Amino acid sequence: MVKRAGTFIETARKEMANPLSQAFLSVLPPGFAVMKQLSMSSFPDPAAAIELSKAIRQETLTRLPELLEEFEENALSNGARVFWAGDSAAANEYILNLCREKGAAFVTKGKSMITEETGLNSALEEGGIEVFETDLGEFITQQMGRPPFHIVGPAINIPAAEISEIFLEKGIISEPSNDAVALGKSVRAYLRDRFKSVKVGITGINMAVSSSGAIINVENEGNIRLTKSSPETLVAVMSIEKVVPDMNDALHILRILCRHCVGQKISGYVTIDTGPAKQSELDGPKELHIIILDNGRSEIYRDSLTRQALKCIRCGACLNICPVYSKIGGYPYGFAYSGPMGQMLNPLFLGFHRTKDLFSACTLCGACRDACPAGIDHPGLFLYYRSLIAENADQKEKALYASAAAAMQSGLAWRLGIKTARAILNRNARDGYVSSISGIKKGWFSNRDLPEIAKKTFHELWKELNRKDT
Amino acid sequence: MRVSLFIPCTVDIFMPDIGAAVFSLLKRLGCEVVYHQEQTCCGQAHFNAGRRKDAAKLARRFISIFEHDDNIVCPSGSCVYMVKKHYPELFGGDVRWLKRAKRLGERVFELSEFIVSRLGIKDTDARFNGKVAYHESCHLLRGLGVTGYAKELISRVNGAQVVPLAGADSCCGFGGEFSNNYPEISGALVSDKVKNFIASGADVIILSEPGCLLNIMGYLHRHHPDKKAMHIANFLASQ
Ligand code: SF4
Repeated sequence: MVKRAGTFIETARKEMANPLSQAFLSVLPPGFAVMKQLSMSSFPDPAAAIELSKAIRQETLTRLPELLEEFEENALSNGARVFWAGDSAAANEYILNLCREKGAAFVTKGKSMITEETGLNSALEEGGIEVFETDLGEFITQQMGRPPFHIVGPAINIPAAEISEIFLEKGIISEPSNDAVALGKSVRAYLRDRFKSVKVGITGINMAVSSSGAIINVENEGNIRLTKSSPETLVAVMSIEKVVPDMNDALHILRILCRHCVGQKISGYVTIDTGPAKQSELDGPKELHIIILDNGRSEIYRDSLTRQALKCIRCGACLNICPVYSKIGGYPYGFAYSGPMGQMLNPLFLGFHRTKDLFSACTLCGACRDACPAGIDHPGLFLYYRSLIAENADQKEKALYASAAAAMQSGLAWRLGIKTARAILNRNARDGYVSSISGIKKGWFSNRDLPEIAKKTFHELWKELNRKDT
Repeated sequence: MRVSLFIPCTVDIFMPDIGAAVFSLLKRLGCEVVYHQEQTCCGQAHFNAGRRKDAAKLARRFISIFEHDDNIVCPSGSCVYMVKKHYPELFGGDVRWLKRAKRLGERVFELSEFIVSRLGIKDTDARFNGKVAYHESCHLLRGLGVTGYAKELISRVNGAQVVPLAGADSCCGFGGEFSNNYPEISGALVSDKVKNFIASGADVIILSEPGCLLNIMGYLHRHHPDKKAMHIANFLASQ
């Protein structure tokens, strides 16, 4: 995974000029948002259903250490092996070693964001193991070397002709075709071949049930199911916050997750695995390795404010409602997670300084907070992140705010400051508006005018208003 | 009822007519109106930029100025949000200031909220001839949850015909510093807003937030000088 959070604005500009991305953005996120509303209305009391999912995520957070231990214990007694990975490198190394031990020349992968986060694909490829993404969208983005555009539709913005071209080049098809169904079928045939002889399969985990040690995956294409059932060895990767206390909670989160993702009451496939195949069972992996990944989350957990980020169930509802995402799409966020989810998570993983744009490029409109079924206050977090870097900010910016605050501390200095600003700004005013400041056409003035500073501020006007009145 | 005006710095500096409209409207509705001349800014811009120490200084100043008032009324949802929701965050470790902040927060009202919920008035006896559309400002709608009051008041203005606005509740792209630092994204959002406004057939777009107003009117002035945006205070003050 290329970490491109540092090129946020350049990528955003490119995407805003890309008619194809724009076409999808004007249809896709609002469509998902409408479908979410429709499917939520199938609950007798949708508001109560949301309250419950928030409560489950809150409980999970409060009891996280204890739930993880309980999960590990139960998973082990089901016959799974559990590996606690401190960071991405540890998780990747474990998987690479396992592949080597099993003599696997390649692996198949179910769609998972966690392995995007750990950069597993490149780690395996560098280690000489070929990787096949099996989700259609992920498969396409993998062929093209692109990050996902949307959490649900990673390659939804890529036109068939472009896909055909790359498929031809990679030998997945032999004749060019712009027919989406034919292209899908060719991938299906191509992957079936891989499934037949795969030794190690890798998936993420949507939920881990602490009381039973079961792991749950949600998908619509069946490729996670195939990845789970085809190989003898299955590796399932979860981050520490994926646990839920029990199966009732899991099923409720499942209902909420599917509805918030794409407006489904339930996804095409839900797989629940409790340990590897038992002796009496015909199919299923002989070995199940569950990797519990921390990757900085203990730190995130330690801070009582950032901790709430761990409530996220990766439903993507916040993307679909975010005004900024709706203009720039998923690429500018530059890492596994995009939209408000990414603005919240990526800085925690990559550091605040490199990702300043992510939490600055927000209007604080609160739509994501309203849409989130896990109860996360994203704008509140962005404001907090901003405060964490403010002390080390640019000296010029720091001085600007400090001097404004100092002036505002004294009414007199503030009034004087306004008078001075008026004299300077209004020099350029025409019919009550200013179109640029000293020839600079950027920033605010790149597409808007600014009213001139009033001939009389309210403060000055007040004396008249009050006099007239009494 | 005695009312203390909380005038946002953007209103004070760029749009004092909004303050004057709040004044005359509240007088008309039978209030005694006072204005503390030493007020400057609630610290929202500092807080949003992450400068919490500066914001806390301004917050303490604000609290000291206003804490003896029973009704503090402001024509901006985001400034009210700052005082009600963010002030307490600034005094996490300081119980005395936290208490003062919370007590003050209970007495701060957004203009339309104050008129309907505190004065119990739904009809302001305003008059306006023409079609109007209402832009939902994020801080009233989602932040404070008080957008219903503004719509109630607008619906009763004599002669005004309220027309539906597509995407009324989507953000106009202001976001303070955001509009200056990410002008392309902000510009695309305000352009959508204005497109919908024009398509609505309304003569005027009305809103309750000086920030949104600066953004939308600035965009209109540059691209559609024949179209107007208006703060709800001016709208309700018109007769
Ligand atoms: S932050 Fe909330 S809305 Fe966004 S993906 Fe996570 S759970 Fe869903």
